[in-house]
Amino acid sequence: MSGGGLPGDAARAGAVLELRGLSLHDGERFYVEKASLRLEAGEVLAVTGDPGAGKSLLLRALAGLTPAGLRREGHARVSGRAALAVANPALAPELPLEHQFAELLSATAGLDPEAARVRAAAALDRMGAPSPAKLLDLPPRALTDALRWRAALALAMAGGPALLLADAPGAALDPTVRAELLARLAGWAREAGVALLLAGRPEDGVDGPADRVLALERGRLGPPAPAPAVAHAAQHPSGPPVLSARDLSVAFPLGDGRVLTAVEGVSFGVARGETLALLGETGSGKAVLARALARLAPVSGGRVTWMAQDLARAGDEMRRDIQLLFPHPAAALDPLMTVGAQLTQLLKRLRPDIPAGRRPAQIGRALERAGLPAATGGRYPGALTPEEAARAGLARALVTEPRLLIGDEPAGTLSGAAREAFLARLLRLQEEEGVSLVLATQDAGTGLRVAHRALVLAGGRVVEAADAAVLADGARHPYSRALVAAARGERPGLLPGEAQGRQEAGCPVRARCPSARGACAEAMPPLEEVAPGHWVACHGPEPGQI
Amino acid sequence: MNLPPDTHPWPAAWRRLTARTPAAAGLALLAALLGALVLAAALLGDATRDPLPRALDAARISLSFAFLAGLLGAGIGLAWGLLAAALGGTAGRRLVETARGLAALPLVLAVPLAGGLSGHDKAMLLPAAALAAAPAVALATQAALRGLMRAEFLTAARASGATGREVLLHHLLPNAALPLLAAGWSALPRALAAEGFSGALGLGLPGGRAGLGTAIGAAVARGDAAGLLAPALLLGLTLWALGAVGDGLRAEADR
Repeated sequence: MSGGGLPGDAARAGAVLELRGLSLHDGERFYVEKASLRLEAGEVLAVTGDPGAGKSLLLRALAGLTPAGLRREGHARVSGRAALAVANPALAPELPLEHQFAELLSATAGLDPEAARVRAAAALDRMGAPSPAKLLDLPPRALTDALRWRAALALAMAGGPALLLADAPGAALDPTVRAELLARLAGWAREAGVALLLAGRPEDGVDGPADRVLALERGRLGPPAPAPAVAHAAQHPSGPPVLSARDLSVAFPLGDGRVLTAVEGVSFGVARGETLALLGETGSGKAVLARALARLAPVSGGRVTWMAQDLARAGDEMRRDIQLLFPHPAAALDPLMTVGAQLTQLLKRLRPDIPAGRRPAQIGRALERAGLPAATGGRYPGALTPEEAARAGLARALVTEPRLLIGDEPAGTLSGAAREAFLARLLRLQEEEGVSLVLATQDAGTGLRVAHRALVLAGGRVVEAADAAVLADGARHPYSRALVAAARGERPGLLPGEAQGRQEAGCPVRARCPSARGACAEAMPPLEEVAPGHWVACHGPEPGQI
Repeated sequence: MNLPPDTHPWPAAWRRLTARTPAAAGLALLAALLGALVLAAALLGDATRDPLPRALDAARISLSFAFLAGLLGAGIGLAWGLLAAALGGTAGRRLVETARGLAALPLVLAVPLAGGLSGHDKAMLLPAAALAAAPAVALATQAALRGLMRAEFLTAARASGATGREVLLHHLLPNAALPLLAAGWSALPRALAAEGFSGALGLGLPGGRAGLGTAIGAAVARGDAAGLLAPALLLGLTLWALGAVGDGLRAEADR
């Protein structure tokens, strides 16, 4: 089915949305100020902006849902019906999808339930939902986040809008899943002659399928500012590995003798000053692997050594060398203790060699290196902004003067310039002090930019390993290529579906791999060296020719 | 509400709690009620036959009972929830399932039942009211602790080499205080409601000086609208105030 039965197949013509000097304010503050734009039928526009920039307010106002207390000035004209799909999909959680489609399509298109079901199934199919007919019988509560987004966007599509406004569509989904979703949506909009406005943070990937991109900054809508200087990995250091993993497996006991294996048979080495990126989707095992290196997850097999010492047998003195950057820095700080008290506690435990009198200076230096004033030590975590919290997390990691930093999405809570500034500082510190870095991230763009080498994980296993530059330009595994493509805003090339956890047998990507064949279901392919230092695990006819 | 960034989270939580209109009104009402009870006891003794002083006297008895039963119920519920969270696994699940099963029952009926069976014996009524409140407290305690035990800051403390004892004493318990207070607080309105219900049925506290429920039941039996108004109002307002403060505490604990 290719969207047959969906309205709007005949391309519309002319401007669907026209804004001239549109302002939204509450009398004291302008949330959107004199915004002007013109959006044609079949055009896809992305509006990016940091959190709180006013994107959601603008979209709500365009959908005729201006929040109470806000005043609207200027000119805004929408030719035809506008549909809004919001970040938290506005579907009734308990009502089967069929009823929600029927209700909307009865009101907007006068369709009877039977015709509504046909159109709903067509819209769901167009959005890549598997088994649309079965899906219609389910309530949104029973769906995954990705399926809820597919359903919410299909619902918006099915009503035949002239303008579709999508607020952070799929922002919390894996980049690969989100990129595929957005590509489908944009493809439909162009084909159906629907004007599509996608709003999101710069890192939400909404610019990928867009024809034009505008930025909303401090209420002003205009061309995006030139991209800030992005951080790149310094020259690849050489030398023997200081951190080494051989056949590392991580398994969690589930009781009754059952175990959940999250990571299996992973091997790698990290040299002094080197950055290793662990890339993969949700459930790939990258975060578990990162935590196992910090001794926060149970190693069930293999061996990890740090400076030639077995990590499993090491005492607490090794913790001063290995520090972790958490994905939610504010949540990783005790809310009842000041930042300074937490850093002091850390020093007491891990650096007893530093006398009490020297601790304040040590803490002040760590805060300064993380880009925070010394006064931050007297503040409680609840009073920190996300950027300050991320930097406080960095200060905590630095205060013991570690030699290995393990980052689990350390900039995940940051957006735009703040994110880049944080990563740049992290890399500068690493370069200056020769610290090794292991960075787990689902953002292949960032990972490959800041790392020297990268492991691509799927279902707890390595499917590709190579130098970051090689992977960025010449990834060979379909899954790695999908991660790289999604980071560039391109269609990932995987079949519709969601990130998979570990599979009992076979390749964990096979359900979404367009090149999958019989052997992929039978056994996990071994890692084979396809070029010096470049390893791929794929049953494809010939790695690289998949 | 803008507070200095170096404000300790507990004073900040108190400020936010008192900034919530229902919670602030509830606290004010409880304070006023306690003040009135003290004054009534000091100034009026028990000689008066006016409806309001009599209702205040009944409120003092009801609140004393609710406080003791609530304290006992909160203690049992907290211990129950703590044990379930600490044990985890099958044993923890069984404790939670038992609490959930009991909380689904109309346990408030257990109090008049105990009153009826024991011939108004206070020694039976108090534990009955406490036990009626305990399962809900246990469930709230276990849920709060389960969430807290997964908190990333505890993982961060472990990563920094903190021992299990240090994690418990320095991080888990201080952060559990507010959620546990919110969980335990819910025993107070439950115990008061149980006493009121039991007394209204004529199966409440013994002796000549009755609680609010007994006063309501007696007024209804006499057809005394004026005599009904004061105890009914006091019981309703006290329950509302306890509930409003509990809601505020829960909202703060959930932040």
